[in-house]
Amino acid sequence: MQLAIEVKHLFFAYEKEYVLEDISATIKDREYIAIIGPNGGGKSTFVKLLLGLLTPTKGTITIYGTPPSKGRELIGYLPQNIHFNLDIPLQAREVILHGRLSAKKRTFDRDDLQMLEHIAQQLHITHLLNKKIGELSGGERQRVLLARALATKPKILILDEPTAAVDFKTQKEIYQLLQELDLTKIVVSHDVNILLQGVDRVFYINRKLYIHNNINLPITPQEGHFCEMEIFEKLGSENGCTH
Amino acid sequence: MVALIELLSNSLIAALLISIAIGIIGSIMLINRYNYLAASIAHGSYGGVGIALFFSLPLLLSTTLFALFLALLLAYLSYKEPKRLDILISVIWAMGMSIGIILSDLTPGYHSDLLAYLFGNILLVPNDDLYFMGIVDCIVLLFVWQNFHYLIAIAYDKEFAITRNLPVKMMHTLILVFIALTIVMSIRSFGLILVIALFSIPPFIAEKITKNAQSMMLAAAVIAFFLIVAGLFLAYFLNISATAAIILLASAIFLLFFKGLKSTTSP
Ligand SMILES: Nc1ncnc2c1ncn2[C@@H]1O[C@H](COP(=O)(O)OP(=O)(O)OP(=O)(O)O)[C@@H](O)[C@H]1O
Ligand SMILES: [Mg+2]
Repeated sequence: MQLAIEVKHLFFAYEKEYVLEDISATIKDREYIAIIGPNGGGKSTFVKLLLGLLTPTKGTITIYGTPPSKGRELIGYLPQNIHFNLDIPLQAREVILHGRLSAKKRTFDRDDLQMLEHIAQQLHITHLLNKKIGELSGGERQRVLLARALATKPKILILDEPTAAVDFKTQKEIYQLLQELDLTKIVVSHDVNILLQGVDRVFYINRKLYIHNNINLPITPQEGHFCEMEIFEKLGSENGCTH
Repeated sequence: MVALIELLSNSLIAALLISIAIGIIGSIMLINRYNYLAASIAHGSYGGVGIALFFSLPLLLSTTLFALFLALLLAYLSYKEPKRLDILISVIWAMGMSIGIILSDLTPGYHSDLLAYLFGNILLVPNDDLYFMGIVDCIVLLFVWQNFHYLIAIAYDKEFAITRNLPVKMMHTLILVFIALTIVMSIRSFGLILVIALFSIPPFIAEKITKNAQSMMLAAAVIAFFLIVAGLFLAYFLNISATAAIILLASAIFLLFFKGLKSTTSP
């Protein structure tokens, strides 16, 4: 089985203290991983390390056998925080098309436009395409950025809290879409419903990584206050979690 | 009227050429929020004037090279010290001007160069300047035409551009280089003060009234050209300073527009 992501003894500190400590994990091709954990646990940091936006203090990461600086071209990424310039006159359609750009590709062709239409239909955002990005609501903007991530034709899709700003219906649509996509998927979420969406494994990150290997064992949202570390670790040790 | 246009022909051509640069580089400056960076390069380049005087070098060559040096220095510093960039921009701003002033003080003879640098002389544009502006405009047009989507993608979401391995550093550096070139090519005729006003106000208005970056660039160029030409004629008929007339006109339109903007956006 081909490995999508391999992380070995990863340590990371922004300043002095480790935010992530001795993390090792492998993610298989086409696996669906949910990442959960408390605020400040290091989930977004972990994801940024996978994308090579941050450099490990110690340890190694490979994406399909290559370092993140190269392998990230295979990743479609939806960031948690969008800190970009919303004044810029820019339509949603252009934002999505930007997903087609690469180091070698600087213009768009007919295929790109077809892909745009297709993804827009898939995400029910055709009516938003001509709107300015600054005039979209938070949830609408998130869907446009998800479309941009899909437009990169990724082998791995990494979504950092894709359902945080969207309404219930959109949330369901996003989960539904994720199930249909035949890719390696990594979804960071605070929403326990994610665990009912056919994920293969759950990563609980709170400075360290605890992996829940068998999602079919009795670990349901009702009893799982997963964001309490002790409970997850207890459930984990009983149910075959490794760490 | 024909005689007047003939009289102003170099000024009008200069107006057209600077408007093209404003439309493109001014817009890119604004969407990247580089206006402060650009102002630093514009002021700091006065160092090049001092160097030209002191070492008896050709003025345009000396300021161009000095401005390019500052642009590359700023590009380098923005990678090396991103957290302290603000203060470094201010230091370069002040340092360049001081070098210019000290070197002109040390050069014997009479100099009114600082005033000329600030206000330019829009009614006496030498042919050489027009050629230089024309060449810079062509390079800028070619660059933006080739890299348009890169420039926009990087401008609004640098993190995304990095994850796609787009040439972020290269584009950033080239933008600063073109800011330096367009500013230097404009300053002798239009003066520092007018250049800063013209590279900021038309793109700002254009940003608010357009839907995409192409039309923003076009609108900014048209607004800039209109302001300069209107200012020139106003100056002629009222017998006042052309630079001041253009700035006042630009400011008036800016204020009117800003007021309109506020009353439409507030409930
Ligand atoms: N740029 C930064 N500089 C310094 N410290 C940071 C930075 N970004 C995050 N941190 C710290 O690193 C830790 C992990 O942050 P991270 O954003 O990865 O958490 P998270 O699990 O994604 O949290 P949330 O659920 O709130 O999104 C936090 O303690 C945070 O304060
Ligand atoms: Mg986070």
